[in-house]
Amino acid sequence: MTSPEEAAVTVEAGPPVVAAAEPTVAVRHVTRTFGEVTALSDVSLDVAPGSFVSLIGPSGCGKSTLLRVIADLLEPSSGEVVVAGKTPHRARTDRDYGMVFQKATLFDWRTVRRNVELPLELMGWDRTRRRARADEMLALVELTDFAKHRPAQLSGGMQQRVAIARALAFSPKLLLMDEPFGALDEITRERLNLELLDIWTKTRTTVVFVTHSIPEAVFLSTDVVVMSPRPGRVLRRIPVDLPRPRDTGTRELDRYFELVTEVRETLRGAGLL
Amino acid sequence: MSRRGRTAINLVAILAGLAVLWEAYRAFALATGNMWPGTDVALPVAVRGSGNAQQFPHVWEPVLALGRPYRGGGETLGAFLLGQVGYTLREVLAGFVLGSLLGFLLGTLFAHSRLAERSLMPYVIASQTVPFIAFAPILVVGFNSLESFPRWSGVAALSMYLVFFPMTVNTLRGLRSAPATAEELMRSYAASWWTRLWKLRVPAAVPYLFVGMKIGATAAVVGAIVGELSAPSSQGLGAAIFSFGRVSNNSVQLFATTLVAGLVGIASFSTVALLERAVLRAYAGAGPAR
Ligand SMILES: Nc1ncnc2c1ncn2[C@@H]1O[C@H](COP(=O)(O)OP(=O)(O)OP(=O)(O)O)[C@@H](O)[C@H]1O
Ligand SMILES: [Mg+2]
Repeated sequence: MTSPEEAAVTVEAGPPVVAAAEPTVAVRHVTRTFGEVTALSDVSLDVAPGSFVSLIGPSGCGKSTLLRVIADLLEPSSGEVVVAGKTPHRARTDRDYGMVFQKATLFDWRTVRRNVELPLELMGWDRTRRRARADEMLALVELTDFAKHRPAQLSGGMQQRVAIARALAFSPKLLLMDEPFGALDEITRERLNLELLDIWTKTRTTVVFVTHSIPEAVFLSTDVVVMSPRPGRVLRRIPVDLPRPRDTGTRELDRYFELVTEVRETLRGAGLL
Repeated sequence: MSRRGRTAINLVAILAGLAVLWEAYRAFALATGNMWPGTDVALPVAVRGSGNAQQFPHVWEPVLALGRPYRGGGETLGAFLLGQVGYTLREVLAGFVLGSLLGFLLGTLFAHSRLAERSLMPYVIASQTVPFIAFAPILVVGFNSLESFPRWSGVAALSMYLVFFPMTVNTLRGLRSAPATAEELMRSYAASWWTRLWKLRVPAAVPYLFVGMKIGATAAVVGAIVGELSAPSSQGLGAAIFSFGRVSNNSVQLFATTLVAGLVGIASFSTVALLERAVLRAYAGAGPAR
């Protein structure tokens, strides 16, 4: 989150700034190639502080690549990325973002609680603080009773909630999620969508969210970014003007169906459906 | 029936089957005078060798011999061999611990640096393709000529030499076994190489480390016995095998000693296997599919 003080400092220190707040993520003309394959081609994208931006597009269009470039797990071949006002590398070493993958990627040899503690451990928090924080996060994802369990004893949906708790444990400004619910059944997925929105509202974290599901993208997001097939570029950015708080009733609104149709038409217009 | 009960019954059945085969061969060879019936082709092993010395005893004879004095009078063979086991185990333990440690360090070095792996791994592999029987005496005698080392250290060195290789290979494999997303997760936390090693790679490698150590546990026993055999030494199971086999030519005592050596190997392996079970249970479901 960009605090008011930070914004003020930026305005004082830099040249006149037109926008209200600088974007949490700014991707400028980024191209990324893997040998012969162009995964991203001239992609530009701003993610405003506090927003929830979904990336949607066909398989292999470079969504994961874009997320990895933002996370400094990959270098762009050309172009520039700014995360929280810094280089992605600096943002990574400052632990400005948390990451959630399609696979929960929990460590089998640690209890659920100690999995959530992992990033705090690496950041040098002492034991009591770590523990308190992990318990707080487990309460947030409603897994308090499973603190002492092993990941293998949890269902896929529960494991993914642990991964979210772990990603949020150190209160990062930014949450990067790569198809976090892609491997879950429809019922669990809808439940976790609600839970994620709840967490997002409580923590005011900025989210970049990759998904294959149009309804999911529309339901969750402030903006849906539709990407073209390889080489990936941004086709269209669709603001989602559904009322908040969103709940199960949201999925029955006419506007919801209109937006789902709009995303679908955009994908179809590009010959993707 | 419990799985353990079935395993025990299987084991007894296999041992009984082998004993029956052994006795059948013995009876057959006695009946035909060590010849294939109707030919003048000799059977592979004669029940009695030159000078009528028994070289194919009843199965139970070596077992009974353990309870009898092994030369003239005094100490029983069993008590004597127990003492030799003690001597050999010291070499086994030293070889196993040092070899496992060396293997772990080499595996970690190779996991850290592709350059180190590419430049040193060929030598590690080459070291194992040289028949170790050939240079066992050189190693043992060479070590023993160093004044500051105890007499058994040369044999321990040979044992270590057999242990470090499976440990190196399995450590390297294990350290590389963490899924790519787990590595990415650690990178997203900007974790240092050491942190990644201790918090992710080593824990992920634990099941592989046990594979290496289980192979090493038996290799350590083989190394120690061959070491004792190949360099003239006066103590240890290898020395006993040498003296009963080559010097006194007493096959009953030789078989008894071989039996004990086999038990030492099994015990060595089982100790590591038990430790593995305890540790992996604490891990709850970690490791490669079993
Ligand atoms: N490490 C890599 N090495 C080589 N090629 C890669 C690598 N990572 C991605 N690619 C290629 O880049 C393209 C985009 O991959 P990416 O994983 O970003 O797609 P995606 O949109 O996330 O797909 P999906 O929806 O299936 O997850 C693909 O063609 C892929 O083959
Ligand atoms: Mg992907």
